[in-house]
Amino acid sequence: MSVLARSVGNAFRNKVRTAAVVAVLAVAIGLALAMLVANQAVGAKVQELNASVGTVLTVNPAGGQGFEGGGEPLTSEQAATATAVPNVSAVVGISSLRLRNAAEAAAQAAGGQTGPGGGQGVSGGQAAATLTTSLTAAVDAGTLGNRNQAANGTTGTTATQPVRSLPITATGIGAEVDTTGKALAITEGNGLGDYNAESTNALLGTTLAEKNGLAVGSTFTINDQTYTVAGLFDAGTTFGNNAVYVTLPTAQTLAGLPGELSSMIVTVDSLEHVEAAKAALQEALGTDKADVTQGQNLETAVSSLDSVKNISYIAFIAALGTAGLIILLIMVMLVRERRREIGVLKAIGAPNRTIGLQFVLEALVLAALGSAAGAVIAAFASSGIASALISTNTTTTAAATTGRGMPGGTGFPGGGPGGPFGGASQLLTSVTASASPDVIVAGIAAVFGVATIGALVPALLTARIRPIEVLRGE
Amino acid sequence: MIEVKNLVRTFNSGDRTIKPVNDVSFELEQGTLASIVGKSGSGKSTLLSLLGALDKPTSGDVAVNGVSLASMPDAKLTQYRRRDIGFVFQQFNLIPNLSAVDNVMLPMEFAGMRKAARLQRAKELLEQVQLVPEKHDRRINRLSGGEQQRVAIARALANEPKLILADEPTGNLDEQTGDHIIELLSALCRDHNTTILVVTHDRALANKTDRRFRLQQGRLTEEPVRNRATAAAAPV
Ligand SMILES: Nc1ncnc2c1ncn2[C@@H]1O[C@H](COP(=O)(O)OP(=O)(O)O)[C@@H](O)[C@H]1O
Ligand SMILES: [Mg+2]
Repeated sequence: MSVLARSVGNAFRNKVRTAAVVAVLAVAIGLALAMLVANQAVGAKVQELNASVGTVLTVNPAGGQGFEGGGEPLTSEQAATATAVPNVSAVVGISSLRLRNAAEAAAQAAGGQTGPGGGQGVSGGQAAATLTTSLTAAVDAGTLGNRNQAANGTTGTTATQPVRSLPITATGIGAEVDTTGKALAITEGNGLGDYNAESTNALLGTTLAEKNGLAVGSTFTINDQTYTVAGLFDAGTTFGNNAVYVTLPTAQTLAGLPGELSSMIVTVDSLEHVEAAKAALQEALGTDKADVTQGQNLETAVSSLDSVKNISYIAFIAALGTAGLIILLIMVMLVRERRREIGVLKAIGAPNRTIGLQFVLEALVLAALGSAAGAVIAAFASSGIASALISTNTTTTAAATTGRGMPGGTGFPGGGPGGPFGGASQLLTSVTASASPDVIVAGIAAVFGVATIGALVPALLTARIRPIEVLRGE
Repeated sequence: MIEVKNLVRTFNSGDRTIKPVNDVSFELEQGTLASIVGKSGSGKSTLLSLLGALDKPTSGDVAVNGVSLASMPDAKLTQYRRRDIGFVFQQFNLIPNLSAVDNVMLPMEFAGMRKAARLQRAKELLEQVQLVPEKHDRRINRLSGGEQQRVAIARALANEPKLILADEPTGNLDEQTGDHIIELLSALCRDHNTTILVVTHDRALANKTDRRFRLQQGRLTEEPVRNRATAAAAPV
């Protein structure tokens, strides 16, 4: 019989109580683990959102609404100002144009139609130049588009209206990036070379090229000017692929607005500097002149997720604290109950450290059982808790980031409150895949630490008093 | 050699002060078998706990082989209890959820003896106190009072202490077992030069000891032992 064997034996001395203690501990520890998993799941989500936004800031004219206009156009001088802001590593000017199919435009004019077509109000503004092209859009107007067209059309002519496609976006870019600052994925052919020189080369989205039967080397026209397809790109979205990219000066010339930019893509040198650079950029450009945004309304989504993350972290700490408190009180109670036994051990020559060790080991046995049972509980509970915490928020996120193609709308793996195996593997993955497994180690270590102290302190305090006082006790 | 000098232990109960041990002095040579008799509540257990370093005197001192207990730090007192003293408690004070043999092994574990050695010695000791082998592995709370008494005596002998303090060790035993325990204690004195101080109500036992003390209202006096034969055999 060793100290360890004695401690294990003592842990099971009162089986009913041991079961009760382990059950309560398991609930607290299980909750703590589930909260940790939830915390990390949300953390991963936040990181994913941040990574999707990356280090890119978008500068639009203050109050600008894209093609709807609004605000004063941005200028090359402002691009220079932006370049000078600390931590800004690149500024890419963007000039957006809208292309309408030349034949459709002619037919519309012949039909006596006035006003904006295609349900896309072009009501003037800095970069709202609408030009004609030989290209046909790869995207159909769809139910919504046709309904809008009908509503806008002159009464009585709807029946004769040809089926029209949506406009095509032509973007002048100062570097080989798309309008969100992401590098263009060129699938065929080459880029445009110098993006800051006029050129008759253009890049076409794969679906747009396909729709118009164009390949690398083919030609098409914009405003009667012939352009050669230098390369094809795949933006990954239908909307993104219904686009043409030309060099910035080309677009500015086409629009007749040299030196004006519809937006700027500002790249910050690192994720940590994004926040500061964004503020500095806004300051440098002036709030009345430019709006600096990070992604599209992602910040609200991120901040709401962040608050969930904080709440789950607090819940983790609280549940862990509860577990610690339970084991602390149990050990205080156990030591009180066995005062006499401590006196006997002392009387027959047990050193204080042996007595302390015996109770610490007993507490650790209880904590270990509680943790093991808690892990099982967490395996059952965490998937439900985590998905409940995230799904409500991802709905907002997805809505707020239309067109950005958020990876995995209901992101967190694990498919809802699955069985214990799904739960267990999810617990394992999220714990092992988490950026900081030391948190869980620290948490469990904290419970064991509290158990150790909770056992040691009362045991040693009891061991220190004269044996006869405890022996006479009862 | 144990020297007790002007030992006093007082308790405050309410506004009254009681002195179960009141200026007690005596000396015992190594290897003496001595008894203390006295009425219930006369302070016998209190005196024994002072000698066994389970309690601290209000004043006075106990010196064992010239070393005073009063000057010992706590760790040394623990060592003293473990190595030098074997205590048999009036209420046995065994660990109820451990087996008889585990209880006897405890002091040896604290002394750092190897497991196989202490198991063997524990079994030998239990045989010496006549606990049948079937009951060696039985839990304490499933043994009778007399059986527990014998386990308690075996535990006191575990580390071959120089001084055995026994508080009414035969109180729960039948006459035959009691006699055997007395034989065992006498043999220890003779063969191992162990000093034994035993508190007893048992006249037969008291008469078999080398020296006999009486405690009355905290005062200790020595009485002549009737059985001169045993007394003569012991070194004085
Ligand atoms: N901790 C204590 N507080 C108060 N009185 C005590 C305490 N311990 C013992 N006593 C009293 O001291 C007296 C002697 O007790 P004890 O030594 O147990 O007597 P005995 O063993 O001779 O029967 C008794 O009156 C007892 O009530
Ligand atoms: Mg007594």
